[in-house]
Amino acid sequence: MAFKHVQSLSERLSPFQKFYLIVIAGFILGPFIPLLIQSFAFRWAWPDLLPSTWWLEQRDKSMLPLAWDYVFSPYSRVWEATVNTVFIGSVVTVICLAICLPAARVLARERFRGKSAFEFFLSLPLIVPEAAIGIALLMIFIRLGLAGSYVGIIIAHLIPTIPYMVRMLTAVYQGLGRDFEEQAMILGANRRQILWRVTLPMLLPGVVAGALFTFLVSTNIFLLTFFLGQGQIVTLPTLLFSKISGGTLDASAAGITLIVTLPGIILLILSERFIKEEAFGKGFGN
Amino acid sequence: MTKVQLSGVRKVFGTFTAIENIDLTIESGELVALLGPSGCGKTTTLRMVAGLEAPTSGEIMFDDKDVSHLPVQDRNVGMVFQRYALFPHMTVEKNVAFGLSVRKVPKAEIEERLAEILDVVQLSGFRHRFPAQLSGGQMQRVAIARTLITKPSVLMMDEPLANLDTKLRGEMRRFIRNLQQRFGITTIFVTHDQVEAMELADRVAVIFDGHLAQYDTPDTLYRRPRTTDVADFMGASNLFAARLAAPDRAETAFGTLKVSPRADLRTGEEIDVVLREEAIDMLERPDAATHQALSGEIVARDFFGANVNYTVACGEARLSVSEQSRRLVDVGSTVWLDIAPDRIWLMPRRTIQTEI
Repeated sequence: MAFKHVQSLSERLSPFQKFYLIVIAGFILGPFIPLLIQSFAFRWAWPDLLPSTWWLEQRDKSMLPLAWDYVFSPYSRVWEATVNTVFIGSVVTVICLAICLPAARVLARERFRGKSAFEFFLSLPLIVPEAAIGIALLMIFIRLGLAGSYVGIIIAHLIPTIPYMVRMLTAVYQGLGRDFEEQAMILGANRRQILWRVTLPMLLPGVVAGALFTFLVSTNIFLLTFFLGQGQIVTLPTLLFSKISGGTLDASAAGITLIVTLPGIILLILSERFIKEEAFGKGFGN
Repeated sequence: MTKVQLSGVRKVFGTFTAIENIDLTIESGELVALLGPSGCGKTTTLRMVAGLEAPTSGEIMFDDKDVSHLPVQDRNVGMVFQRYALFPHMTVEKNVAFGLSVRKVPKAEIEERLAEILDVVQLSGFRHRFPAQLSGGQMQRVAIARTLITKPSVLMMDEPLANLDTKLRGEMRRFIRNLQQRFGITTIFVTHDQVEAMELADRVAVIFDGHLAQYDTPDTLYRRPRTTDVADFMGASNLFAARLAAPDRAETAFGTLKVSPRADLRTGEEIDVVLREEAIDMLERPDAATHQALSGEIVARDFFGANVNYTVACGEARLSVSEQSRRLVDVGSTVWLDIAPDRIWLMPRRTIQTEI
């Protein structure tokens, strides 16, 4: 198995498959190209296909490309927004996991009256428009004094993330089966030992995937953050919105957009490596 | 060495009764199979002995001590799951040592017992492999080693041979048998496969619908099933309704059979007869018969290498006859069937047709 001859990708794919892959890659990477160009442009006006003036030609006027000069300057608030986004995303992910792990265990293993109704109930936040949730929550939070606070935003972010996380972890738990935990019990392990030595390590790929997803959703939520942050708490999406709401994509907006994608990309690369090595590399081959 | 006793054990899940009432004694060092169709309660019985379920009523005793409500962790039993339940994120070594490390056994002792048990299951060279890198037989041996290292008083196995191919099955059967005798450990296993049960067990407990139908040695169970259901489940292919016309004569759809009288059956009673397919002699001339000669015609022949199975039409009935393939008789031939009366087993007519 380990020594199987590995053909190179181009040998294994048919021309159609190659074409298909290129199209998919184009769809994913395409939007980044104008952003990258814009961020290094000095002047780029319609109908030019490429900037009429590049930053490099005007580097005596500006030390850095215009976009990056703005992004790295303190009044862009990019640093503050990044810290806020990552902080909120991390807290939301941890709380979401703490709520969803036990819930998923029950949903995956137990049968009880009204279970399917409960599952439907859980996905309701995905059906109700975000704007409706946002406005309603804002009314309540203003009264509770939570508007414009981290707590308020974190609570709001849990609303659309919990349904996904519960579903994902339920599927993982269903795949796990009771055998492993029962086996550990028969071998003399207590509850704590079973959780730390058997259940969590086995759930790890699913937990990592769920956590990653939650983090990415949280860092991309605009509307709820915008409503409940009250302009006092700036995150990358709200910062971006305020930059591009005028309708133009100027160089600094392009720079911010690129920055906004960074946490996600870094996380994806990290988790990809982590999931592969920690779990799939060792093989869940039953 | 532990004697396991179930007395009046009953298990109810909500409105469903899994085990009606089971009394079973497994002698110390014995290898017993719990055999039955799926959903008959055999797995529930095993899980109750293991402590994964508590009986609704009745007692489970190890060496005359009631353990019915002792938690799993304190029961000191071993269980090998059907799909082995090896922890996929641990190496063979970590898997096998799990039971000792959770009990905080000193490192040096773990290492010593680990080396010893890996030697027993012939996996010393595989300590650093992960389960995904092992074959089915190796995974099973790891699962057995992981259980035996804790020195359980009772070893339980769920369908131990079900996931193995034919060649490996024979190997594993001998391996389990040797191991069981070497350690003298009381062993209970669950199976729905009568061949597996007969291959491995000292005694077989046949369970139907939460009842113990028969508890006997494999050969008794095969030759002298107590009920038609048991016979049917043990793979009897020639099972016919009959009427006891005289103490030694049974009338069937295909003729009158000479049988051995049985004290518990009355003349005139409706009964079932079982003819083991390998106990029937198929003759090409009627005068060679020593006991009886039922004439019939071969309608089908299935060749299995060492054995041949013939389907013989005798009147309305179809009888299955199994022979060694020393000769081959053509389909369409007229043959005479001879069966020794003591090879015909009579049973009271079954009251309810059980779906098997």
